[in-house]
Amino acid sequence: MGALANVYSGYQSVLVPEMKKKMEDAWGCDIAEGKVGLTVTTLINTLADEPGKVKAVYIMGENPMLSDPDIHHVEKGLKNAEFIVVQDIFLTETAQLADVVLPATCFAEKDGTQTSTERRVQKWRKAQDPPGEAKVDWLIISELAAAMGYAKQFPYKSAEEIFTEITKVTPSSAGMDYARLEKPEALHWPCPTKEHPGTPILHKEKFSHPDGLGIFTPIEWKPPAEVPDNEYPLLLTTGRCIWHWHTGSMTRRSPDLEREEPTGWVEVNPEDAKELGITDKEMVKAITRRGDITIGARVSKDIKKGVVFIPFHFVECAANILTHNALDPVAKIPEFKACACKIEKIKEA
Amino acid sequence: MTKKGDMLYAWTNDAEIKKHAELGGAVTALWKYALESKAVDGVLVITKGTDLYDAQPVLVTDPKELAKTAGSLHCGTLLLPKVVKKYLDGAANMKIGVTVKGCDAMAFYELAKRKQINLDNVIMIGVNCGGSVSPVPARKMIADKFGVDPNAVHKEEIDKGQFIIEFEGGHKGISIDELEEHGYGRRSNCRRCKMKIPRQADLACGNWGVIGEKAGKATFVEVCSEKGAALVAGAAKAGAIATEAANPKGLEIRGKVEGAMLKLGDKWRKKDFESLGEGKDRLKKIMSETSRCIKCYSCILACPICYCVECTTKNPVYVRPGELPPDFMFHLIRYAHIADSCVNCGQCEELCPSEIPNALFMHAQQVELEKMFGHVPGLDMELPLHAFVEEKAERARLANTGSDMIYENVFNPVQKK
Repeated sequence: MGALANVYSGYQSVLVPEMKKKMEDAWGCDIAEGKVGLTVTTLINTLADEPGKVKAVYIMGENPMLSDPDIHHVEKGLKNAEFIVVQDIFLTETAQLADVVLPATCFAEKDGTQTSTERRVQKWRKAQDPPGEAKVDWLIISELAAAMGYAKQFPYKSAEEIFTEITKVTPSSAGMDYARLEKPEALHWPCPTKEHPGTPILHKEKFSHPDGLGIFTPIEWKPPAEVPDNEYPLLLTTGRCIWHWHTGSMTRRSPDLEREEPTGWVEVNPEDAKELGITDKEMVKAITRRGDITIGARVSKDIKKGVVFIPFHFVECAANILTHNALDPVAKIPEFKACACKIEKIKEA
Repeated sequence: MTKKGDMLYAWTNDAEIKKHAELGGAVTALWKYALESKAVDGVLVITKGTDLYDAQPVLVTDPKELAKTAGSLHCGTLLLPKVVKKYLDGAANMKIGVTVKGCDAMAFYELAKRKQINLDNVIMIGVNCGGSVSPVPARKMIADKFGVDPNAVHKEEIDKGQFIIEFEGGHKGISIDELEEHGYGRRSNCRRCKMKIPRQADLACGNWGVIGEKAGKATFVEVCSEKGAALVAGAAKAGAIATEAANPKGLEIRGKVEGAMLKLGDKWRKKDFESLGEGKDRLKKIMSETSRCIKCYSCILACPICYCVECTTKNPVYVRPGELPPDFMFHLIRYAHIADSCVNCGQCEELCPSEIPNALFMHAQQVELEKMFGHVPGLDMELPLHAFVEEKAERARLANTGSDMIYENVFNPVQKK
């Protein structure tokens, strides 16, 4: 939906002049020279390591203060920004740092669509009004745009009008409209025309390359940027549990979900636990070169010897205090899944 | 003078209702009269939502809005009584009319027994139900077995043992038996259901037994209670409906249809329950199927018997939190607390995202308990075999009896000293 730093909607590249022209005509305004912008992860690095280059940050529905790697580094970066706006439905750890917080609406408080990684586009149907002064996200953006002098380009009166515009400038969604989305199975993009049934399975007969063949790319194995050593002998991997979503700003507010897993833990193999002299449920320190946290141990055969796992949902024992912001060279995805760690028994004073 | 026990043909003279009605439009006409005469403050019925396969519950308070709710939707698989409990305050302060299938009627009584619904404020018009079809399987059935685009269907009905559709360019009927032979057709619990004419409602209406010149144009109405009699009498007096005594031959035919449906219910019970095996085999099968559980709580939220504010499954002493699938104890708690009163409404199975045959398992246990203890749920206000009590209050009650004969005092409560 054009929310990446290098594409308009439908993965249309900002570098292609025809795309820029198409959007300029559709939106009735000039667009700056096509340039690939900063990704989420390089943005934080730029803020932290090149202060002044990026002056302001506008964050919608994301909580980098808990979800990004190396939280101390994230905090340094965000505090370097001159101006931070956070648009969210809850006052997250990131919103605490903002100069302005714009209360937005949750899924039940707005019309619109959602598109999953299955490429299925489904309707959202507003069930209730948002609380207090919270506004629907598209209206916040439209009002901001108007304040900046672009009221003409943001004349929308409904989510459906915005969807219609999307279908006008995005060939892979051109055949969609709200009426067609009313069925339970809705529509998968690509759906280029009104008659097209949508594409539940891609590349069924051939791939997208001109000759229809797929390209396999062998990858040379490379170790992670930081591997276990004598000082930090364990491999820390981080991830999720089924009960919580990301930084828990929604799920930890649900009594039923919070009851299932009320706080974080570090999974330790029984052999490692024995060597460390720690037992199940014992509070321990987990330490990496980036920082340390106090967290309960979960001694379990489910984790391999030499590896420990910490879920990243819990601010009170935040896994990302420990993780490394080494980035993959192409996609700039951080190495959340591998860094060097040590676990220490907490000795009573 | 209409009285309890009367068997009538009834029909509306309202043109608007006639247009939408399946037969005589009597149910809708009775509701319109009930609203207009303020016998009820609102009527909870089903209306067509997005399409033919989407049954939406709606609380109608304006009599003019009723006409379009006439007719039947065989993909309406939802259960209304818990909606009354959760969103209409259990009818504590509002008089409500509800159209009920057999399962709805049974659920109402189970909720009333547990003090979750004030039945004195509820008028139930029961409808004969041969069973409902889940919406998404119905669409698949119409596409694959009927060879018709489900979006092109503008009318569906179940009549004389056939599922019949009318679409652009024709109509087609296939026998329910044949459909169910091939894995299509009615919901599993509906096939086992033996509450075909809900006589525990105030009226029991339908098209079975309407013969002669009124065939297809009148609704059969069996008056089951004083409340029902008063409603029919009032409506007839006000000219909202016209009635005549049901043709005795029609009554006989109605009995035969009901008999055939009950036999069909018995046939499916035998088939379904035998497929579960017995003893350890049955347990193994249940443990295996329930291992897909993701603790979404849909079954518990939908079950008309479940009403505890603090569900025992949420007690960490019984079910370790954070585990998926939950320990089998999660399901054992459900079986222990619900099986005596399960009315086979099927909601636990219909709503389970993991497609666990919950209703099959619970119903299989209920029939065994019914054999052992003779308690039949859903018919009247007969209390269940066991119920939730607050420990302190119950201990105090027992202590007040002055006797240490617990069994006697629980089953034959002694007056407080």
